[in-house]
Amino acid sequence: MHITGWTVALAALGAVPAALTQSRGVAVAWAVGVLALALLDVWLAPSTSTVGVRRDVPTSVRLTRSTVATVTLANLGRRRVRGAVRDAWQPSAGAGRTRHPFSLARGDSIVVRTDLAPTRRGDRHAGPVTIRTEGPLRLAGRQRSLDVPARLRVLPEFASRRHLPSRLRRLREIDGRTAVQLKGAGAEFDSLRDYVIGDDVRSIDWRGTARRGEVVVRTYRPERDRRVVVALDCARLSAARVGDGPRLDASIEASLLLAALASRAGDRVQATAFDRSEQARAASSGPAFMTELADALATVEASLLEPDWPALVRLIESRVSQRSLVVLLTTVETSALDSGLIEAVAALQHRHQVLVGSVEDPELGVMLTDRGDSEALYGAGAAARAMLEREAVATRLRQLGAEVVLALPDDLAPAVCDRYLALKAAGRL
Amino acid sequence: MTATQELRTTPRGPGLRARARGSRLVIIAVALLVGLVVLLVASDRDADIVPLSTWNTRASGTHAVTEILRDHGVAVRQVDRLAQARIEDPAATTLVVAEPSRLSSAQLASLDAYPGDVVVLGRVRAVLPSLGMDVRQTTRLAGGAVDAGCADPDARAAGEVAFSGAALETSDPDVALCFVDAGAAAMARAEVHGRTVTVLTASEPLTNAQLDRYGHAALAVRVLGAHPDVVWYVADGLDSSLLTASGVGGDDAPTDVETVPDFLPPGTGSAFYALALAVLVAAFWKARRFGALIAEPLPVVVRASEATRGRARLYRRARSTGRSAASLRAAAALRMGRRIGVARGESREALVAAVAHASGRPARDVDRLLYGPAPADEAALLSLISELDALESEVHRP
Repeated sequence: MHITGWTVALAALGAVPAALTQSRGVAVAWAVGVLALALLDVWLAPSTSTVGVRRDVPTSVRLTRSTVATVTLANLGRRRVRGAVRDAWQPSAGAGRTRHPFSLARGDSIVVRTDLAPTRRGDRHAGPVTIRTEGPLRLAGRQRSLDVPARLRVLPEFASRRHLPSRLRRLREIDGRTAVQLKGAGAEFDSLRDYVIGDDVRSIDWRGTARRGEVVVRTYRPERDRRVVVALDCARLSAARVGDGPRLDASIEASLLLAALASRAGDRVQATAFDRSEQARAASSGPAFMTELADALATVEASLLEPDWPALVRLIESRVSQRSLVVLLTTVETSALDSGLIEAVAALQHRHQVLVGSVEDPELGVMLTDRGDSEALYGAGAAARAMLEREAVATRLRQLGAEVVLALPDDLAPAVCDRYLALKAAGRL
Repeated sequence: MTATQELRTTPRGPGLRARARGSRLVIIAVALLVGLVVLLVASDRDADIVPLSTWNTRASGTHAVTEILRDHGVAVRQVDRLAQARIEDPAATTLVVAEPSRLSSAQLASLDAYPGDVVVLGRVRAVLPSLGMDVRQTTRLAGGAVDAGCADPDARAAGEVAFSGAALETSDPDVALCFVDAGAAAMARAEVHGRTVTVLTASEPLTNAQLDRYGHAALAVRVLGAHPDVVWYVADGLDSSLLTASGVGGDDAPTDVETVPDFLPPGTGSAFYALALAVLVAAFWKARRFGALIAEPLPVVVRASEATRGRARLYRRARSTGRSAASLRAAAALRMGRRIGVARGESREALVAAVAHASGRPARDVDRLLYGPAPADEAALLSLISELDALESEVHRP
């Protein structure tokens, strides 16, 4: 049961007779009378079980977008039901107004809408639906909560998709399909054609020229149908916060942009998120892949575990049989020496091309250039030390033949894609 | 209604009541606990330490004489305020007023108008003329055990009484003075307006400490136990209410007079009382939550720079200028080498020569900056860092 503000107002009105009679007894009697009226109203109020409830929630929404969840209410009883309903959601679901008053005639139904603007990635769960019915006096009524499970999947924001058009343009340039007079750069032999003035003389195919009697040149195109494996490290170091979000969020952005670009370039992409075991996977081919990837990565959360790099190596070896581009989105740090990252990269580099992407902390850059006071000087020293250690690890990785991309959170996704395009242009996939 | 099948409803039947029935034991236990607490709070009076109060069991109290009177069938009732006396039958009641010097003139007037017997205990100063007795408090002090020395039967029955302190004197022949020592009396008694007024200025004989000495107990029982009812009032100077009794201010006993500041209209107190009750109702209104709170699983938040900041604090605590300088030098060398195309593994001489060439500075100067001795203190570290920054800004690709 619950009481309304009218009950309070009525109780406060008791001050008038109490003042006129100058008696506390009258005040107490008035309050008791008001409460008795409220109890009577509760008894007269329609039961909450006369209200039928159905919840309709969209399956998914992208972070920073808003959506609408609805609750359908129907009066199953014989009387008019007046009251309110609360459509409860987790705080991070960003629900707007969750309390909706309603008044339903017999057999009537109504749909109430709750605006949702989620503030966090992942599954946002709804709480119970609480129904309040009011009695005829509007002083009090009944209240019950009903479990109606619902879930809204909040997909990663994919803010880096604004970088996609410029990267696709670059891809077309490499492809030779642009209007610009550029040689189709790439590693895969495409065809022979007649020499045109302006072509690079180095690309003249002398054997073909001898055979045909005319000068012919070879054209190349970028490799297609290569394999790209994106592996997101969602272990301990990915939980640390850089800028506004954890490192993992920057890794997710990078993997989404790379997957979008690589699938347009005709490569076959699969992705996995792991810490000590696989946490999420997306491996379908075709246009459904991006949806599957966003859905799979939506619920990935960083855990406070040490990553199991040998297990990842075994996982990747079991998934791909051909030479592939393995993109490890992790953190290059001095602890990588102990955790086995270097050994894993060495093992993968045997058969594949490895690209290690790592999120840099913008705060370290600030510390490095801060000259404010003596404390800042020591901070600059410590930041320089951290940078040197990271460079040392990156150098080790480069010596193994791996590509290393160190970038700030917002720059990681385009930087990884640029490196991918460079590898593709050079035919190293 | 087509969608009725998909609709869910709350389970039928009583909600709160069903839950209450399930936890009936808990409710009983809570009710018992609340009852116990109320009982303890109600029964736990603060120990009374007011002198001459009938609830006071210390040496200065009068609990003992009260108990003796009750054993003799006399009902003793102590009131906190004079207005609570509400004496119905003044003829069968003894009104005991202790510490009369604290009474206001209005209260004394209401006592003077009271038709029943009055016993006054304690220092009287100059209040007795207001009660119709021409008796004054003397400045002479008396002491020691004294004989009754008068014809009053109560005093004679008591025999000897010991007292000390202020005493009484009079020039009125109608007033009987008893226990006189050198012209100062401990007790005065007179018939005023048809009732007996007894003044015991020395109240020590009635206290718990002295009751069993000499004839104190006999005196107390005879003086106080003359009527079946005793109303006992200890004046405290805070109570301003007047005596209530039938016969005072007419036949109707006036009700309890409210002590409300007179600038507020009457009934204000009651109105505020009603509003306070409304506030309780409002608390219930607001306390009833519209459904449960929904928990939010929060992620762990650790700043990625925590480790580096910790290291900076260690450097600072150890005043490790050398280590900071070495890191900054190495980092600057790395950046400059990358900019002008000197590989990381190149020798010191090669790097110094390249940087000197690119910046236009003497090689010795560059060597001192990049590989010189460690700075000894913070001032030296600061100047080294600013010089390094300057050098770095001068290095351009050749």
